[in-house]
Amino acid sequence: MSAPHRATRVVICCGSGGVGKTTASAALALKWSLQGMKVAVLTIDPARRLADSLSIGEIGNSAVSVPIERLDPSCSGRLDAMMLDAKATFDELVRRFAPTDRAASRILGNRYYQFASTRLGGSHEYMAMERLYELWHSGEYDVVVLDTPPTRHALDFLRAPDRMASLMDEGVLRWLVMPASRSGWRALELGSEAVSSVLKKVMGEGTVAEIAEFFEVFRDLWDGFRARSLEVQALLRQQDTVFLLISSPAPSAREDAIYFLERLAELQLPFGGFVVNRTVAEPLPLPELPTRPGELALSDAQWQACLDSIVSATGQRRALSLDHERSIGALRAAGPAGAPCWRVPEQERDLHDLQGLAGIGSDLPELSQLRPS
Amino acid sequence: MPLLDHRIVVVTGKGGVGKTTVCAALGMLAVRRGLRAVITETSGAQAIPGLFGKQSLGYQPLELIPGLDTLSITPLEAIEDYVVQQIKVRRLYELVFRNRVMSPFVDAVPGLHDAVQLGKVWDCAVQARDAAGKPRWDLVIVDAPATGHGLTMLDSPRSMMELTRSGPMYRGNEKVEAVLGDPAQTRIVLVCLPEEMPVAETLDLNERLGERRRQLSLCVLNEMHPTPPAEPATWRSARPALAQAGNSGLQPALALVDAWQERHLQQRELHQRLAQGLQLPIASLPFLYRRDLAPGDLSRLASAMGESEGLR
Repeated sequence: MSAPHRATRVVICCGSGGVGKTTASAALALKWSLQGMKVAVLTIDPARRLADSLSIGEIGNSAVSVPIERLDPSCSGRLDAMMLDAKATFDELVRRFAPTDRAASRILGNRYYQFASTRLGGSHEYMAMERLYELWHSGEYDVVVLDTPPTRHALDFLRAPDRMASLMDEGVLRWLVMPASRSGWRALELGSEAVSSVLKKVMGEGTVAEIAEFFEVFRDLWDGFRARSLEVQALLRQQDTVFLLISSPAPSAREDAIYFLERLAELQLPFGGFVVNRTVAEPLPLPELPTRPGELALSDAQWQACLDSIVSATGQRRALSLDHERSIGALRAAGPAGAPCWRVPEQERDLHDLQGLAGIGSDLPELSQLRPS
Repeated sequence: MPLLDHRIVVVTGKGGVGKTTVCAALGMLAVRRGLRAVITETSGAQAIPGLFGKQSLGYQPLELIPGLDTLSITPLEAIEDYVVQQIKVRRLYELVFRNRVMSPFVDAVPGLHDAVQLGKVWDCAVQARDAAGKPRWDLVIVDAPATGHGLTMLDSPRSMMELTRSGPMYRGNEKVEAVLGDPAQTRIVLVCLPEEMPVAETLDLNERLGERRRQLSLCVLNEMHPTPPAEPATWRSARPALAQAGNSGLQPALALVDAWQERHLQQRELHQRLAQGLQLPIASLPFLYRRDLAPGDLSRLASAMGESEGLR
């Protein structure tokens, strides 16, 4: 892997939907940029939330500079935000790896390609890796933060480079585009005609022919894609890369985080710790309730309603904080011993401006604290 | 027609809003109304059985309570089902499809994953039979993926039709689309939380649904905090006296009630914004102050759901 001329850290935020992953990614990136670093944050979340939280309106494949000087006019850092445009990234890649312009246009014009590049399950994930690689390789940033899609997708995203490589290596593509004698299907003791006729029966002859044509053209690009795929895999495992698991006290988020943890271990990807969003603070003891002042213009029933509110509110807080403690305990027990855990307290208002995002910065890790455990 | 009288109910919404809980509560409600229902989870999710204290059987139907079953659809098992139906020979499937070569290929066909999963939903709703040869389920509740992917999945039969243009896969998806795209047979339920961002995204999803909006029946507003016992005006007038009268331990508790009051007003405002923006009945489910549901909680949520317009 050719290294960039600046040591760029890569922080990948994973977790299930609705846990505040996009917000956490943006807040981390903002925090570090306010400390003077050059930071890029990339989201592949199809819902356009990052733009909202960074208050920069629409963002796209090209970097948009976030106006952090509004928070700190003397800040020497920089924050660029971008949202993945999977199709544009895919097109770009095809142009780069195609041996001739003609080959590139043949692929870009193929109907199957047009479907695959926008709707292929995992194409977003794969292209996110590609963009991440480009950002890392550009050497322009001290740190690149990647916000990933919700869990089940994110697993695809981790598999994306492997899957692309196996798609290119495995027999099926060869079988589709190469003569039977070279395909290796003989090992199955099944003529490739039999396979072909089954596929045609299931998918329809026209579809199979079109897909075959696509792979025929695409074959010229394989080497480029494969090499890149291997580089991306190396990037995910390099010592400057770390995966953060973003979670919340909700059981579904916790279960997903635990599941994710297992996958990271299995894939030997570096885990850097948990960020648990929306936690509540310590339980409050039920306070001594005051006696009713004589001169108050409220009925006894109204006064009692106020006292009831106090009793209920502290009860609710107690129930929630117990629930959250239990949940965080279960999460940490599933992680490697001593893995750090940062808690971001529940905010009274949704965070959708820079000020608000900067406000949770103190609850989030310093970049130097993020080391694989 | 009441929601539960349809063949299929698809439940979707932003991640983490409680789609699975809503599916379980809807399933319970269906059983109370004398229906036989099945909740299908997608992409291998298996969160439903745990809510009933059971272990998932994966792709095999599992009885949760009498009258309510669940199963977890995975793309590969759904494809196997589909292909075996097409070629009629399981042995051939195993030879051709179940090997390391086939799986990346299946991954590479755009929309196939989603389309075959909906194919299985269709199969449960239209083809599945019980021992007596009668339709096995009256209602299929689909715990669909979150917003973005959920939409892609709903569109997948059409995408596949566009890709294949003719042939067996075209016809298969046409059959699926005829049921899943038909407002008389399939309804969509949106789930949302009473918070700014989820409400904004639900309204956005509503726009993106396009002509599928015809299939919308209901929006469930989950985790609604209860109304504080004291009216806002009462609380405001008592607040200074409370702050003065109490000991210092009282101050954080007063702040909690302040936040509760404020949240309540905000919830009311969001409820209104949602009802106006969607032009749909809104079913409110109470927040139970615990995330791991206790026995009996689901039943409570089912009752709350049953009170809602469109479900009574």
